[in-house]
Amino acid sequence: MLSTLKLMLGAIGLAATTLAAQPAPRLNVVTTTTDLHDIAKSVGGNRIEAIHISEGYQDPHFVEAKPSFILRLRNAHVFAYVGLDLEVGWMSLLVDGSRNPRIRPGAPGNLDVSRAIPVLDQMRGNVDRSQGDVHPLGNPHYWLDAGNGRRIARLFRDRFSQLDPDGASIYAQNTRDFEARLAAAEREWAPLVAKIRGKPVVAWHTSWKYLAQYTGMNIVGFMEPKPGVPPSPAHLAGLVATMKRTGARVILMEPFYNRKTADFIAERTGAKVLILPPSVGGVRSVRDYIALLRYDIGQLANAL
Amino acid sequence: MKITVALAALLSLASGLGAQVGPASPRDSAARADSIARADSLALVRELEALERGGRDTTSVAALTPGQGPINPRLMPDISVIGDVVADLSPSGSTLEGGRRFDIREVELALGAAVDPYFRADFIFGVSDLEGIAVEEAYVTATALPWSLLAKVGRFHMPIGKQNTTHRPELQTVEYPHVIQRFLGPEGGKGTGLWFSRIFAPFGFYQELQATAVDHLGEAEEDEELETLEPSNRSLGGLGYSARLRNYWDMSEASNLELSASAATSRRAQPVLCGGVPVCPGIDGTPGVNARQSLVGADLTFRWRPLQQGLYKSFIAQAEYLRQLNQNDPALPPAFGAAAEYIGPSRNLDGGYAFARYQLTRRTHIGGRFDWVEEEDAAGEKANATAFSAYLQFFPSEFSKLVGAYERFIPPGQAERTNRILLQMTFSIGPHRPHPF
Repeated sequence: MLSTLKLMLGAIGLAATTLAAQPAPRLNVVTTTTDLHDIAKSVGGNRIEAIHISEGYQDPHFVEAKPSFILRLRNAHVFAYVGLDLEVGWMSLLVDGSRNPRIRPGAPGNLDVSRAIPVLDQMRGNVDRSQGDVHPLGNPHYWLDAGNGRRIARLFRDRFSQLDPDGASIYAQNTRDFEARLAAAEREWAPLVAKIRGKPVVAWHTSWKYLAQYTGMNIVGFMEPKPGVPPSPAHLAGLVATMKRTGARVILMEPFYNRKTADFIAERTGAKVLILPPSVGGVRSVRDYIALLRYDIGQLANAL
Repeated sequence: MKITVALAALLSLASGLGAQVGPASPRDSAARADSIARADSLALVRELEALERGGRDTTSVAALTPGQGPINPRLMPDISVIGDVVADLSPSGSTLEGGRRFDIREVELALGAAVDPYFRADFIFGVSDLEGIAVEEAYVTATALPWSLLAKVGRFHMPIGKQNTTHRPELQTVEYPHVIQRFLGPEGGKGTGLWFSRIFAPFGFYQELQATAVDHLGEAEEDEELETLEPSNRSLGGLGYSARLRNYWDMSEASNLELSASAATSRRAQPVLCGGVPVCPGIDGTPGVNARQSLVGADLTFRWRPLQQGLYKSFIAQAEYLRQLNQNDPALPPAFGAAAEYIGPSRNLDGGYAFARYQLTRRTHIGGRFDWVEEEDAAGEKANATAFSAYLQFFPSEFSKLVGAYERFIPPGQAERTNRILLQMTFSIGPHRPHPF
């Protein structure tokens, strides 16, 4: 009996010690996407409480500005978003609705992650919507390049350190750990990248351009004739000709697009439709940023 | 010696990296892939980048980013324009205001920008042939208030019911529901004054209380035509006041529910007769008297949009009920004499609608609405007006919309029924506006 009591007391003491050793989160971080969420968690560790708004299997442009998201933002210290107008259809409603001055544009808690990114497709000359649903500031799907993953981590490190200086060394160490894990993963998938390099593919949307930059795959055409514009028969006919000419054997698309049209083209060209998650959580097994890149690169290499 | 060589190599590599601040070219990508393949090189790159960036703050990271200078160096506001063109192909003649078969119902010009760190300003002007230029909305929003407060000062859509807060070109139907047109005005109810809102979640779900104090409620033409001996806003009690409590629940990842209640009150000009004619002592125009008019109501909205198929599938069902409470015997001014007679609304009137819309394809939606609203005739008797309507919407893109609508309108007393066929096209230019929710 006495030994049982001692055991219980010991367990309680151990639990209390463990709890005491775990500091309460210092920063509430809300991110728009799961990718930013995972990298923020990697950098912030248990010094932050992080949540995300969109899901990895959802088109991040068409997120509904639900009032429940406003509650998530109300107490945020940091609101991190992809930027480049990716979230333009819903973000301002949430930020305004949150009444949280810490995350308003210009405040330290408002973190436009694209600031740290060398952006592709920055438009020059006259820009208008006859060019489709264009992003004049550049292509916002930058997280699918591991180099940009590092940049995002460093941006989080710097901003978290600015807002929580006591944790600066921890954020720095966590960032180094994240980069080390990423570097190890890159060594692991380097042979797959070598296999992908130069191979022609067709993509549904311009969202795969950064992955193409990272892996060296050659996107020879897009299912969308212009960003955000569904394909017309004439465009598809031209695309079939392009695929036959270039030998493209893969049509790459996100899980939130209807694959019927892609299947139709695949039938006529002998290509394979490859549905890849563009973000963490896009498929059940992809639970973190490195796993996302590993999965996408692995699937691509297998298909090519 | 070895140390010197190593340092020189490091410096050389560091300067090379420092130059790589632009978007990577295919050659860069290939080089990077090569370096990835060689683990030792990668580790070295990592160390150098750490040295290079060590101790720098976020600003320095941003400063390294090319091509991202000020996006709007002249501090110009966001400017957008929405065109709203309507055609009426009804078999018995046009039912549009003004009687036209084709009409630019309105052009809406919107400007918005931050005023300073504390306020944001929004201006929306409506331009139409019938009304000329009208200030639809013009308000400044205080964005830096404590206690989860938000405040607006200016003119805004009154937070009464659900659809009244939506601009007409952004409605999911061609026109506002009849109950809103009848009780608040054909273009929805607006007010000029103060608007406060506070959000809270004591029960774990989103709640928002919106309250307004405005000069007066209602934009109906008859308000402008009637002349009263004293303005309705002479005392503070005669101003317009409203309150709305929103409750929102996520039922699942894909579906949610909003249940809200609204109330508003104001004194409004209502018609009187003196000796049986609309001519009263002391009044040059059509005589009126101020009578209290209040509104209470509730609205329910259910939304369904599966996240993964959200581009192609969605459903919304909405119902709204409003009750108009009318003062039936307002005190008439003694100056009007003993023969003065109040002929304004004296009965309490009810109305509502039920609406549903289903998304068929990425670009196509189909919907329907049932309207019902009570009206009071000259004899003081209540009668129902009802309408059934169906809609087919086609969105070429997020920035344009085509709507075909059929409505069967049954006026009070089962009088001559009207079949209406309406076509609408709305189109917008300018910055991407938030999607209405």
